[in-house]
Amino acid sequence: MPKLLNENLKYNYLAEDEPPVRDERVGGCVAYCGSCSGLQSDFKSGCAQSQNRKFSQSAGCQLGLAVGIVNSLTRALLIVHSPLGCCSGMAGMAGVSASNRASRGLSVEEKPFIHTNMDEFDVVNGGVEKLKRAVIYADQEYHPEVIVIANGCVPGIIGEDIEAVVRELETQISARIVPVHCEGFKSRFVSSGYDAANHGILKYLIREPKEYPQLTEEAQIKYDFAKKYRTSRTVNIFNVGSNSNGDEVELSRLVSALGLIPKVVPLHCTVDDLDHLGEAALNVSICATHDDYLLGHLKERFGTEYILDVLPIGINCTNEWIRKIAAHFHLEKEAERLIEQENKELLEAIQPFAEVLKGKKVFVGGGETRILTTADFFKTVGMDVVGIKAHNVDRFVENLLNDIKDPNLVVEVGAHQPAEELNILNGLRPDLYVGHAGANGWVTKLGIPTMPLFGAPINYMGYSGAYELARRAARVLKNTNFSKNISKHVSIPLTDEWLATDPRTNIVEGNRF
Amino acid sequence: MSDFIERSKFSCALGGALTTIAAIKRAVPIVHASGGCASALSGAYNLGSGYRGVGYCGGSMIPTSNIAQSQIVFGGEDKLSGQIEATLKYVKGDLYVAVSGCQTEMIGDDTVGIASRFRDQNVIGVSTPGFLGNTLRGYDAVLSALIKNLVEKTDQKSATTVNILGIVPGHDVFFRGNISHLKELLGKIGVKANTFFGDNETVEDIKKYGDASLTVVLSESAGQIAAKAFENTHNIPYITTDLPIGPKASERFLHLIGEKLGIDRGVIDKVIEEENEYFYSYLERVVDVVADLDFQRYLVTITDSYYAYPLVDFISEELGWIPHFVSVNDIQNKEKQDAYAKKFEQLTSETKPQVIFEDKVGLTKKKLRKSWPYNNNQKYYNALGPLYVVGSVVERNLATEYGAGFLSVAYPVSNRAVLNKGYAGFRGALSLVEDLLSNLVTNR
Repeated sequence: MPKLLNENLKYNYLAEDEPPVRDERVGGCVAYCGSCSGLQSDFKSGCAQSQNRKFSQSAGCQLGLAVGIVNSLTRALLIVHSPLGCCSGMAGMAGVSASNRASRGLSVEEKPFIHTNMDEFDVVNGGVEKLKRAVIYADQEYHPEVIVIANGCVPGIIGEDIEAVVRELETQISARIVPVHCEGFKSRFVSSGYDAANHGILKYLIREPKEYPQLTEEAQIKYDFAKKYRTSRTVNIFNVGSNSNGDEVELSRLVSALGLIPKVVPLHCTVDDLDHLGEAALNVSICATHDDYLLGHLKERFGTEYILDVLPIGINCTNEWIRKIAAHFHLEKEAERLIEQENKELLEAIQPFAEVLKGKKVFVGGGETRILTTADFFKTVGMDVVGIKAHNVDRFVENLLNDIKDPNLVVEVGAHQPAEELNILNGLRPDLYVGHAGANGWVTKLGIPTMPLFGAPINYMGYSGAYELARRAARVLKNTNFSKNISKHVSIPLTDEWLATDPRTNIVEGNRF
Repeated sequence: MSDFIERSKFSCALGGALTTIAAIKRAVPIVHASGGCASALSGAYNLGSGYRGVGYCGGSMIPTSNIAQSQIVFGGEDKLSGQIEATLKYVKGDLYVAVSGCQTEMIGDDTVGIASRFRDQNVIGVSTPGFLGNTLRGYDAVLSALIKNLVEKTDQKSATTVNILGIVPGHDVFFRGNISHLKELLGKIGVKANTFFGDNETVEDIKKYGDASLTVVLSESAGQIAAKAFENTHNIPYITTDLPIGPKASERFLHLIGEKLGIDRGVIDKVIEEENEYFYSYLERVVDVVADLDFQRYLVTITDSYYAYPLVDFISEELGWIPHFVSVNDIQNKEKQDAYAKKFEQLTSETKPQVIFEDKVGLTKKKLRKSWPYNNNQKYYNALGPLYVVGSVVERNLATEYGAGFLSVAYPVSNRAVLNKGYAGFRGALSLVEDLLSNLVTNR
C-alpha cells in the first residue's frame, strides 16, 4: 500500500500571517542528476533532498505563481508592493488574461494593476504610506471586489507590517483586501507561491455565504433539501494556472458522466463562488503540487473529503482519476463502464498517431506531476521515453516516481537550469522534446523539435487531452525544419568544456555555493 | 519621493540592465539576486517587446547566485564569486556583466567589488537594485559602467564619429530597426555612429568608442547619465535631441549633427534631397486612398517622452493629422515637464495638443475623457472623431472604447511580432505610415 501523499502534514496555519514555505512544510529535492533508480533510493534516504548545484542559473520566483492565482479572480485588482520589476512581465500580458477569460465564456474585464514603486527612500523609511494610498486609489477608481497586495522581497526584508495596513483599511473600503506573502528569497521552491496565495484566499476571502431572503416555511424546506442534495453530489475540481478551458470542459464532462455535479474552482471565480466552496461532497485536485495546502485546509474547515494524488493526464492516469472519484460515491460499476467505453473510442482514435510516434525518442521537462504523467502516456503510445526533468521532486510525486519501471531512465531535477538540461539533451538527442515555457527555445537552438508542455489553447487533460497530446506530437514530427535551420545558424552560449562535462559533477552535497 | 504607478510600462533597474546587456553582442549577465529575478525580468522584455526573445544568454540561461534566506542572513558574496568563476568556465562570452538585485544590495553585498577581482577576465560589476529606479535607470547604470571601465581612453578623436545614446533596447521595441536606419542615414553624410547595439558592433568595437567627438542623446530620460560619463571620462561633449522620424525631423537632425561636426552643408542638403525624393516616391502611393477615404484623424498618443514628440511631430507635420492629446509617462520633474510640453508649440498645426504627464493609466483615461466636451444628448454634437490612438498595447481597450484606430509603438507591444522594423529617419517613417494605415484598412 503506497503511503498517503500528505501523511503527517498539517494545515492549521491560519492564525499566522503566512504559511511556512515549502522548504519547511514539505521539503524536497531541487538538484539531482542521474538515473531514475538512483533518485528513487536517494529520495527515500533523504540524500536527494540535501543536494545543491555549483553553477546555477535563474530559477523561479514564487511571486509570479502566487499572483497568477489571486489575480485571476473575477473583479480582483492587484497591488504589487515592491519596486517596479516584480510582476513587470504583466505589462505585456493584457491580452493573455483577457483571452483566458474569454475562452471560459467569462466577461472580459480590464485588469489594472498597481506598483507601489518602492525606491531608495522607501527602502530606508518604509513604503506603507504609499501602499495605503494605492489601496484607497484602487478602491475609489475601480471598486474591485478584491484587492490583492502581493509582497515583494524589499518589504519582506525591511519587515513591513502589511497586516496592519489591511486591518486599518478594511473597514474603510468595500473591497476585501488579501495580503499575499510571496517574497522570492524566502523559498527555493516556487510552489511556495501556491500556498502563499491559497493562504490569502483561505484567511481573507472565504466568508459565510450569503443566504437568500427569508422564505416561507414550505419553500425553505424545499430549498434546504435541494441544497443538501446538490451539495451531496457536487465535486469541486480545482483548476491550476496551466490548465486550459478545454481541460476544464473535459474533466467536467467526465464527472458529469458519473451523474455528479462538477464545479470548477478557484481560478477565475468570483468571491461569491469562493464563499460557497464548502458546499461540495468531494474536492478533487488535478495537481497535488498546487493544491495540498488548500484542500487540506478545506477538509479541516468544512470537513470536505479530498483526492490529491492523480493528475488526469494520459489514459492510465485519467482512468485512475475517475476511479478515485467514483469510489467516493460508490459508483465503481458506472466508472468501469465509462472507462471501458472511453478507452475503446480513444485507443481507436489515436491509432494513426501512435503508428507515427512508435519508437520515437522523447524527453519531457517541467513541473513534476505533469511530466511524470505525460511520460507515462507517451509510453502507452509506444514512444521511447529517454529522460525526464523536473523543476523539483517532493513527496507528492513519490508514488508516481516509484511506478517508473525503467531504472536507467535519465532524470534531472532543477528549476529551469538549461545548462544541465542541454548538456543531457545533447547526449540523448531525442526526436521530440516536450517542455516548460522558457526551455523550448533553447532546445530548438540545439536542433531538437519541441512542443510546449502547457498553454492556454491546449487541451491536455482527460481523454480528449490525451488525443490532442498524441495529435500534436505527431504534427510536430511532420516537419522539423525550423529547429534544424535554427541550430545551424544560432548558437547556444555554453562552452564545449561544459558540454563535455558530466552534469552530475555540478551537483554537490549541501549548500556549498 | 516617488508615487505609486498604475500599470507601469517600465521594469526596474535590474530589468533595464538585463535588457541592455541582452542587446550587446555576446555579452553575458551574471545576476546576484534571488532565483526568479533574472528570468522574470528577461521574460518581461521577451514578451512585451514585440517578442524579441531572451537573446544570446537571457531568460533561464542567465547565471544567477539564486540567493535564499540563509544568504540574506549570512551574506551572499561567496556565492557570487563562485558563480562568476563557474560562468567564466562554462559560458562563452566577450563580456560578463555582474549585476545586483534588491536583496543583495540591501544586505550590503559588494557586487561591484567582487566583479572587479575578475576584471582581467572581462568581468564588470554594476550596482542595479530594482529600487534604484526604472528600466531607464538600469540602462544608464550599465552603459555608464561600460563607458568608465571598458571604453579605452584616447586623445585621438575622429571628427566624423558620434556616439548615439537614449535608444533603450527592449524598452524601444524597434531599437534595432531604429539604430540601423540612423546608422545608414548618418553614413550617407559621412558620419560613423557608435550605438552599442548596432548590427555589426562587437565588444571590441565598444572599447574604441572613446574616439567619438560628439555624443547625441535621443531621449530626455535615458542616456543622460551615460552621456555625462562619456563627457567626464573621455572628454566627449553631448547634445540632446529627438529621435528623428520622417523627412522634416530627419532634416533637422542631419543639420544639427552636421553643424556640430562641421560637415559641409552642401553634402547634407544633397542627401536630404535624395532621401526626400525617395520618401515621397513611396508616400505618393497612398495619396489616393488617404484622400478618397478621408484618412485624416484626431491623434492621441500615450507613450514615453522618447516617442511622444517624435511621433506627434511626424504625424502632425507630415501626415497632417490633428494632434489632440499627448500623455507622457516618464518625466516627473516639473521644470522638465514644462520644457518638454513647450516643444509642442513648434507644431504648425492649427490645433496644439493638450500635453499631460501621467503614469497612472486610469487617470490618463479620465483626463482624455475630460479633454473634450461631453455629449449631453444634444441634436448636434461635435464628437472627438475620427480618432486614432498611438500608444502601447495597454491602450488597445481605450481605443476600442472610442472606436478609434490603434497602433502600438511604445513598450509594451505584445500584439505584434517585431524583427528588423524601425520608424526612424526617412525610411523608417515609411514603415510607420504603412502600419498606421494598414490598421485602417485591415477589415476591407
